[in-house]
Amino acid sequence: MLQCIFLLSDSGEVMLEKQLTGHRVDRSICAWFWDQSLSQGDSFKSLPVIASPTHYLFQIVRDGITFLACSQVEMPPLMAIEFLCRVADVLSDYLGGVNEDLIKDNFIIVYELLDEMIDNGFPLTTEPSILREMIAPPNLVSKMLSVVTGNASNVSDTLPSGAGSCVPWRPTDPKYSSNEVYVDLVEEMDAIVNRDGELVKCEIYGEVQMNSQLTGFPDLTLSFANPSILEDMRFHPCVRFRPWESHQVLSFVPPDGEFKLMSYRVKKLKNTPVYVKPQITSDSGTCRVSVLVGIRSDPGKAIESITLSFQLPHCVSSADLSSNHGTVTILSNKTCTWTIGRIPKDKTPCLSGTLALETGLERLHVFPTFKLGFKIMGIALSGLRIEKLDLQTLPPRLYKGFRAQTRAGEFDVRL
Amino acid sequence: MFNQFGSTSETLSKASAVVLRIGTDAHLYDDPEDVNIAPLLDSKFESEKCEALKRLLALIAQGFDVSNFFPQVVKNVASQSSEVKKLVYLYLLQYAEKRPNEALLSINYFQKDLGDPNPLVRAWALRTMAGIRLHVIAPLALAAVSKCARDPAVYVRKCAANALPKLHDLRLEEHAPAIEEIVGILLNDHSPGVVGAAAAAFTSICPNNFELIRKNYKKLCQILPDVEEWGQILLIGILLRYVVARHGLVRESLMLSLHGMDSNGFCEKDGLVRDLTLDKEDGGKSDSFDVNLVNVVSKCYIEGPDEYLSRSSCPDTVTSAFDSKETTSIAHNEDVKILLQCTSPLLWSNNSAVVLAAAGVQWIMAPLEDVKKIVKPLLFLLRSSSASKYVVLCNILVFAKAAPSLFAPHFENFFICSSDAYQVKAHKLEMLSLIATASSITSILREFDDYIKDPDRRFAADTIAAIGLCAKRLPTIPTTCLDGLLALVRQESFAGDPESVDGEAGVLVQAVMSIQTIIERDPDSHDKVIIQLFRSLDSIKVAAARATIIWMVGVYCSLGPIIPRMLTTLTKYLAWSFKSEASETKLQILNTTAKVLISAKVDDFQMLKRIMVYMLELGECDLSYDIRDRTRFLKKLLSCKLASNEPTEDSVASQENIAVHVVEHVFGRKLKPFTPVALNDRFYLPGSLSQIVLHAAPGYEPLPKPCSFVFEEHDQLSDLDRQREAGAELDGSQESSETGDEDGSSDYDTESSVGSEFSSDDNERKVSNDASDPAAPLIQISDTSVSADQEELRSKRALDLWLDDQPSTSNQTPSAVNSNQSSYAKISIGDIGSRVKPKSYSLLDPGNGSGLKVDYAFLSEVSTVSPLHVCVEVLFENSSGEPILDVNLEDEESMKVADSSEQTLVGKANASYNNVPTLIPLEEISCLEPRQSAKRLIQVRFHHHLLPMRLTLHYNGKKVPVKLRPDLGYLVKPFSMSIEEFLATESRLPGMFEYSRRCTFDDHVKDSRMENGKDKFLSICECITLKVLSNSNLHLVSVDLPVANTLEDATGLRLRFGSKILSSEIPLLITITVQGKCTEVLNLTVKINCEETVFGLNLLNRIANFMVEPSSLTS
Repeated sequence: MLQCIFLLSDSGEVMLEKQLTGHRVDRSICAWFWDQSLSQGDSFKSLPVIASPTHYLFQIVRDGITFLACSQVEMPPLMAIEFLCRVADVLSDYLGGVNEDLIKDNFIIVYELLDEMIDNGFPLTTEPSILREMIAPPNLVSKMLSVVTGNASNVSDTLPSGAGSCVPWRPTDPKYSSNEVYVDLVEEMDAIVNRDGELVKCEIYGEVQMNSQLTGFPDLTLSFANPSILEDMRFHPCVRFRPWESHQVLSFVPPDGEFKLMSYRVKKLKNTPVYVKPQITSDSGTCRVSVLVGIRSDPGKAIESITLSFQLPHCVSSADLSSNHGTVTILSNKTCTWTIGRIPKDKTPCLSGTLALETGLERLHVFPTFKLGFKIMGIALSGLRIEKLDLQTLPPRLYKGFRAQTRAGEFDVRL
Repeated sequence: MFNQFGSTSETLSKASAVVLRIGTDAHLYDDPEDVNIAPLLDSKFESEKCEALKRLLALIAQGFDVSNFFPQVVKNVASQSSEVKKLVYLYLLQYAEKRPNEALLSINYFQKDLGDPNPLVRAWALRTMAGIRLHVIAPLALAAVSKCARDPAVYVRKCAANALPKLHDLRLEEHAPAIEEIVGILLNDHSPGVVGAAAAAFTSICPNNFELIRKNYKKLCQILPDVEEWGQILLIGILLRYVVARHGLVRESLMLSLHGMDSNGFCEKDGLVRDLTLDKEDGGKSDSFDVNLVNVVSKCYIEGPDEYLSRSSCPDTVTSAFDSKETTSIAHNEDVKILLQCTSPLLWSNNSAVVLAAAGVQWIMAPLEDVKKIVKPLLFLLRSSSASKYVVLCNILVFAKAAPSLFAPHFENFFICSSDAYQVKAHKLEMLSLIATASSITSILREFDDYIKDPDRRFAADTIAAIGLCAKRLPTIPTTCLDGLLALVRQESFAGDPESVDGEAGVLVQAVMSIQTIIERDPDSHDKVIIQLFRSLDSIKVAAARATIIWMVGVYCSLGPIIPRMLTTLTKYLAWSFKSEASETKLQILNTTAKVLISAKVDDFQMLKRIMVYMLELGECDLSYDIRDRTRFLKKLLSCKLASNEPTEDSVASQENIAVHVVEHVFGRKLKPFTPVALNDRFYLPGSLSQIVLHAAPGYEPLPKPCSFVFEEHDQLSDLDRQREAGAELDGSQESSETGDEDGSSDYDTESSVGSEFSSDDNERKVSNDASDPAAPLIQISDTSVSADQEELRSKRALDLWLDDQPSTSNQTPSAVNSNQSSYAKISIGDIGSRVKPKSYSLLDPGNGSGLKVDYAFLSEVSTVSPLHVCVEVLFENSSGEPILDVNLEDEESMKVADSSEQTLVGKANASYNNVPTLIPLEEISCLEPRQSAKRLIQVRFHHHLLPMRLTLHYNGKKVPVKLRPDLGYLVKPFSMSIEEFLATESRLPGMFEYSRRCTFDDHVKDSRMENGKDKFLSICECITLKVLSNSNLHLVSVDLPVANTLEDATGLRLRFGSKILSSEIPLLITITVQGKCTEVLNLTVKINCEETVFGLNLLNRIANFMVEPSSLTS
């Protein structure tokens, strides 16, 4: 089981340590960790499980903050990693993001949350909605109150009712004057276009996100018009397995507020909405680059915030790139980002320019990979359609809302 | 002042940051010590306390030690504010271990909070109390946990389950059964949340107590989908281990079915395990399942790889099949079926750890045709966070090694994204090279082609290595691969100066090595490639790559028609470049030239010899001693060759020349075919930490031995009965065996339980010994577990009958449960009361009392006034030269000098007795002459069993305050009971009512020196008894000694004392168990069974203390 959790800032400072068991972990382990990550670089930082001389370390990095957990005994590593991810999620939910200042400013809340989330190295309460009832998130009102009166407790006196029920994700009796339930299909398109311009892989990773504000103990069923296209899926604990197994219907008692009901994957899509055509020619120490971006198949909705970013190879000494639409920025770490936005009707956006290679190099022998970003509101590119959402007992004034959006996930275009 | 604002955007953003931080705890974190914390802690405002605590926590968070505030913080534990309480708890847990004495002060509050109607308060108190790692309070914490394990609130029960490992961690051996019992209770809870936490407790406390699981197995399976995700992870593992221990592996599963597979890779479904010795070549080539590897994997799961690999140094033992008795079939086994059923929907869990755990069960237990359903969920996990992606990939790799066919159709999932971390990329490459098939290889190679151009050159180099692996696995593709690789080598070598570009060298070296691996398979058809490589030597600058190519020159020097003809030119070139080479290349050049020389043809020989000589000369004066060394070695070795003129002549002419043979052997050897399967991979259970770090992490346990947990289905008895029988059976058998050899092993008499008549003549010596000393105790051998049916057991016939009996019909008394499984000799000690001298304490010493000395001793008589009173004998002695007048002792309180703090502490507990006077006054001594002493009896009611009583001593008209300290040993009264009653009572007070401590005892050492003639055991018993009875008011119930003991070994000697608490009449049982040699310092384990935990615990400490302290009285 976990023995200790450290929160490290992006400069390696230990912001917070929370010992979980009687076997204290000295914080010198963090110094070791940081020395290693400085000397070994990125490949060490991306290693989630590390066997240090004294402990096994589990790390995840979220927005520059390293969440480090230590253990000395055998335990499922994924459990530690999933838990750290959950901690990071909860913290960013509470604090509105995670960064050094936010964590330091609210260290008491972080402490209290950690204490509630894990007991003796084993996760205790990780359900966000229950945690919210136990420890109040910081908000403007409580801040003002603490300034004015000098005291504002963020620790609840009473045990949330959900903490013990058989649906631990839901407080037993929330009350709303207007009953609302929203379903969002949020999809991400993962694709790989190889150097020959061929679509090697194209699939959709999607999530069904819900926001339910329903009185009492609602029992919902959500069905899709075409569930057969779903290749893989994973469900929130509230979803009952049986109805899905028998006739692919999601039946569940929802948590209160926002949550992710399921995630799914649809594979082997044939087309992408946007194409990227890069070209590069190199000769006698300079390269000419030109990249065209355009709409391949119109999804029927506007494609927004199109961006293209890539890492210039090390051997490029300088770059001169310009575009006929949008803006191009090159950061000091040689990351080049081309922000296109929407594709104009009258012309095809084109990025062109020259790269100067380091002296001694005739031609470019390594090529960057372009990462495409876009967003389409109002459509789920996988084609998944929600058929209906039913409540077993209809409350008065029920409002149901459905939305969909697709954005680019891991969309790689290789040059 | 105003121009500071708005001057730059930077200050503006700073200002806004300041605004944002108002109301947060930022200032507390930044400057926790800018105010004095101590007075804040004592403040009467909750908010100030809260701030102070926050400051302390900020200091803790920053790694400072603030334990010096402990006493002040602990005081605040009584606060009503939940936030203060929570913060105090956080602080307490951090430092309790460091400051045990102060931490004990807080215990009362926890006890109070445990009774709070608010479940949250109860849960917090429990969590904190269990988290304070002090042995002293462990029994209290255990009592609290067992109470909370039955709490109506689920949350509290959950916390109770989490508290169990904390207690277990303190290594309280005595409490282990109690803790396991609570685990059992919680596992049986109807709430899924509690079961999850109980599963965690089970895993860390008693992972092999399968009995607990057996009782609830079906229920646990059914509840599994509802358990919280974290509990699911562990519960899945527990259920899997149970099923393996109970039923063994499944015959149809991947792990076993391959034993019955024929060489074509098809599985025979007849379900019978046949110990086929498979043709390994065929098995290895089979694409769908790697039989050898599956065997290794399954063996590793059961035995642990370290053990397994060390045992089977040769792979031939691998195919030793599992015993068919240790396997089960899914068709007939309900338990296995349920396990598979309840874990398969968990493959859809949102938590990747759950999915992996469920996949692990299916992988090991599911029938071969069902294993494929884990593939898609596992692959979907690759879309989760980058950290878990890596761990999942590591596990998939193991699955794919054993069964590449499972993943072969899904190769697209392992195509690499630019955002993957380097390790993930490397693992994906390994995956791709593992699962590539003839149909997928073209797409995979196209991908590889892209990867080679990746800016990350380390990754590119890995890709090239993967190409080599693919080409080796699939015989159809080498030509395309080789062309590509050669082109790469050419391109790389022309790409300017590779040394300047980081990682480029690695790519080139890897390319050459990959080419070499491909060639190795079939060198004859690739001689053109080899020649091309040789030709490119001039352009390749990287030393390692050059060295590899030069090595190839040596190895393939006699291959085909063209290469031998190139050799002279090549060696000339090498000799020419020798001076400018790196040392690894130089070594390789030397070796290669030697090899070439050995296999040289007649016409080249002279030339080559000259080159060799030249090179040896160069090498001898090289800067590097390695090369000088090698040169001299070669020179000696080749001396015969260099001396001769004809290359072939030697081997024919001088057969006897060993040197030639050696040279031939060293340099003329052909390459051995490369072994395709590396069997020394390490496999650990899927999802385990050990699999990721590739060594057995502490606490890693492989699956239990198949069918190691045996349980008779037809046995209808409850477990308690079974246990009891096991104990009784053992008792019986030991007894019967003992009756045979008792004369040899035991010096003591065997008697009937009455102990009055001696049955055999052999014992006469002992008898006379006994008889000569009538006061000496008798030692009787009897079974402590024997009760009413003792007589019956004694007769041999009855014993036989009883042994033959079915266990279910035997009726044993409950006393057998706790008894050790060996016979005991009962020792009766003569009247020791006369030798007991109560210890006396000083109330007033003559220095303070102007010559009046007052001592007191507790008496064993029971007070006549009320059950709360204790009789104390007070001895007044005048050591001055003058008479002392009007000596009297009075209660301070009766004089209305109430001490408020004491009052509150004692408070309500004794409220009902408040009308009873605390002191029954003594008769006043009117005059005490010099050297005269007077004894008086007083009866005292103590407010608290630990707090001293304040009295006022009057004499000569003066008042002196004195303190009468209670002796815990006299707040109990003897409780006369038989051994059976004792054991029965003891069995009713298990678990949290039982606590023990260890201490040492050495009184007997000097004692036995004094009386050499006396039996050592007796003297030990007497010493202990004397010590106990001199310090406390108890009844000696029995003294037992295991008969198997040798003369020197006192281990197992057990003394039992019975008593009741004076005030409440609650029975209190004390058992002292001895460990050690008679003549050395003994280790005692003092165990107390009592419902009144606090009192019992204090008494336990008291006993342990006085056992250790040197005896003041000499008997």
